[in-house]
Amino acid sequence: MTLSLSVVLAVSALMFGLGVYGALTQRNAIRVLMCIELVLNSVNINLVAFSRYVGPDQALGQVFTVFVMTVAAAEAAVGLAIILMVARRKAHIDIDQINLLKW
Amino acid sequence: MTVTDWVFLAVAAVTLFSAYRVVVSRKIMHAALWLGLTFFGVAGIFLLLGADFLAAAQVLVYVGAVTTIIIFGIMLSTPEELRGPSSDAGSDADSPAAPTRRSFLPLLTAIGFAAVMVALVNRGEWPSPPGSVATDTPRLLGEALFTRFVIPFEVASVVLLVALVGAIALALKEESGQ
Repeated sequence: MTLSLSVVLAVSALMFGLGVYGALTQRNAIRVLMCIELVLNSVNINLVAFSRYVGPDQALGQVFTVFVMTVAAAEAAVGLAIILMVARRKAHIDIDQINLLKW
Repeated sequence: MTVTDWVFLAVAAVTLFSAYRVVVSRKIMHAALWLGLTFFGVAGIFLLLGADFLAAAQVLVYVGAVTTIIIFGIMLSTPEELRGPSSDAGSDADSPAAPTRRSFLPLLTAIGFAAVMVALVNRGEWPSPPGSVATDTPRLLGEALFTRFVIPFEVASVVLLVALVGAIALALKEESGQ
């Protein structure tokens, strides 16, 4: 296997950029959540790549990936529950117009 | 270039293209399905990097669970909720292609970040790929999780429990309030 680490890191950086751009520009809350998942996945690629190239006999980076996956799953579940509740109360999920913490 | 390199480049191209489609798709359901393909591509990258357990977990957790609940969330919303308030319904607010007032700085931020990262990555001195790679990653992961990382592991399980209860509580409060 001759795949160099920099190629993997570049792919991860591009995906991170795409996710950041989407999260900053989208106005639909569900789309923002999807773009945040993209960002988390690109970080996971980074962790796994460094785990593979720097310490392949320990798999420590993969442990962190497991934790990131755990938190991402929890974030998606709670985030969607919040979005659904906001949608029922305000009849839209445009994040430009959701500016209250309590109502 | 070995076969692995070509396979990696192909998988990475599919992943990046579907990630791009997630951001620019006009229909939110299409974006969700492209997101599922992106997750599959990331699982393929994990597989090529020798993380077979994580690839399986990626398919189970992301493709199986996260994509599904995002699609549930879309389907539980009415078209009016997805499209935004009716004041600008005529301008097709659901479409990300519609220029928003915030479209320049995010583009600059994202492209700037990606360019800086790629430039740094290209200049860096990186370790060469190790000749041998551990083939028993589930055993390595399990040993690490239950010895050195046992406390984070338990905290993660508590986080999952709290998220489960919290998601149910959020949904139930709405039901009982009516």
